[in-house]
Amino acid sequence: MLRCSVLTKVLREQRIQVAGFGLALAVIAALDVFIWPAYRDPLQNFQVPPALQALIGDLNIATAPGFLASEFYSWIPILLIVFAVIAGTGAIAGEEGSGSLDLLLAQPVSRRSLVLQKVAATCIGSALIVSIGYLGFLVSIPFVSIAVSLGDVAMASANMLPITLFFFALSLWLGAVSPSRGMASGLAIGVATVSYFLYSLANGVQALRSVRYASPFYYYGTGDALVHGLNWWHIGLLLGIAVLFVVAALRAFERRDVVTGGASDIGLTGVLRRIVA
Amino acid sequence: MHLMTGASVPAIELRGVVKDYGATRALRGIDLSIEPGQIFGFLGPNGAGKTTTARILLDLIRPTAGVARVLGLDCQRESMAVRRRSGYLPGELRMYDAMRGSDFLDLIDSFRPERRDPQLRRALLERLGLDPTRPIRALSKGNKQKLGLVQALMHRPEVMILDEPTSGLDPLVQEEVARLLEDAVRDGRTVFFSSHVLPEVERLSHAVAIIRAGEIVAVEDIARLKSRSVHVLEVTFAEPPPADLFRLPGVSELRRDGPTIRLQARDGLDAVIKAMARFPVVDMRTEQPSLEDVFLAYYAAPVSPGEERRDVAV
Repeated sequence: MLRCSVLTKVLREQRIQVAGFGLALAVIAALDVFIWPAYRDPLQNFQVPPALQALIGDLNIATAPGFLASEFYSWIPILLIVFAVIAGTGAIAGEEGSGSLDLLLAQPVSRRSLVLQKVAATCIGSALIVSIGYLGFLVSIPFVSIAVSLGDVAMASANMLPITLFFFALSLWLGAVSPSRGMASGLAIGVATVSYFLYSLANGVQALRSVRYASPFYYYGTGDALVHGLNWWHIGLLLGIAVLFVVAALRAFERRDVVTGGASDIGLTGVLRRIVA
Repeated sequence: MHLMTGASVPAIELRGVVKDYGATRALRGIDLSIEPGQIFGFLGPNGAGKTTTARILLDLIRPTAGVARVLGLDCQRESMAVRRRSGYLPGELRMYDAMRGSDFLDLIDSFRPERRDPQLRRALLERLGLDPTRPIRALSKGNKQKLGLVQALMHRPEVMILDEPTSGLDPLVQEEVARLLEDAVRDGRTVFFSSHVLPEVERLSHAVAIIRAGEIVAVEDIARLKSRSVHVLEVTFAEPPPADLFRLPGVSELRRDGPTIRLQARDGLDAVIKAMARFPVVDMRTEQPSLEDVFLAYYAAPVSPGEERRDVAV
């Protein structure tokens, strides 16, 4: 029998967070839809700032998909990534730092199973947040004259999951190799911020256009999914790299010592040893 | 080999276990074999390697060299089987603060559904006087320690690895813990506990290994240790006896105050009694030697730098 004690425990711990993030998304989604009719006409003559236009690609902000892309899908992933980084760095580094990992791993549960159960819990948690957020569209779109379908926003909402899981897996790996949760969180947030601005910058500046391929946000594609549907290649790439990060995290964590309480003093060579192990 | 002769497999066995943390050598080749059915004390100052040894047994850390076995199973390669049959109380006990005690025990129970024993769990909670319905964050240090003990014992593990089990408990509860552990080993199970407090080891254990600076300096049966141990004697004569009266092998005078002499005998009392019987004795008192006296008499080697001496002495 597959034992899922850790999965259940993490889901229970995350339930407030999941509900909070999900409701926030739902409220924002519904508000965006309800205000659309008031913005539709003024936006026809609106000169979109280049930075914003860069984020939403070739979509026109005066159309419903363009509006939702700029007001919702361009920045909601940042919220989801915050959730992902909290969960990712908490899974190994967090429990290690708080000292509770010792007693947990003294039970007959393998490190692999422990980590995979936490991965599963976060996949479920992220999907729940996005689903709760989708309820905001469900209660608004049928009552507003807006040229997007519930199916379009369902697709675009689901499209936020791969990039969320990408940053979760990155944080998980950073938590497995760095000496403290603080450092892992800092690095993960740093990567997310830099790659977000890299993407928006590179989209707007012709000379930098090829640089955007280096940003995970390019493969997310903001509102593209609203108009063109899901890009399975991009989704596959993000999830593929996420899987590699999970595998790397497992390898590093399975081979190393568990540290008791607080930051470990493994130093830079220790970190490198964990990475190449 | 134990297995080949058909004798019992040691409950815990360490062979040449070395552990390095970077350039620091925490364990310098630990050899230890603990027969089942006893309470085994692991005594040493803080930083001597007690926690490191315990965590190797549970595969939380891996030895640099050597082999550790629990119930004949390799602690690293067969760790899952070891952990299924062991209970562990960490020295730095951290649980999930937001959980209620009973939810935490349910979580620990869920890892060994086949060994779940609600009756034993209830009995342990009752004997230690712990209310499991409160959230862990609301528990005092002592009550957290009780919860830690319950989770370590409630699945009737064959080997109990307890790192400083009575730390933070008041004396009455310590007594109850002593009885719990006695009960636990009665059916052939084994307790391995570490402590830096000598009287605790003396009270609880049947045998003791003394570790300092990553090395085992002695393994002794408690009863034998005490029987061959130092005696401290205070004798008052009718008048001051000759100065060379106690110039005997293994005997040293600690203090002389007119007719009263305080002395220490390492090899039994026979020679001392026979020597003093030649003079009128007014009063005599002997002191039950504590393990601490024994320890200091036999093993008080120079303390290596960095080791805290005050931790040895209670």
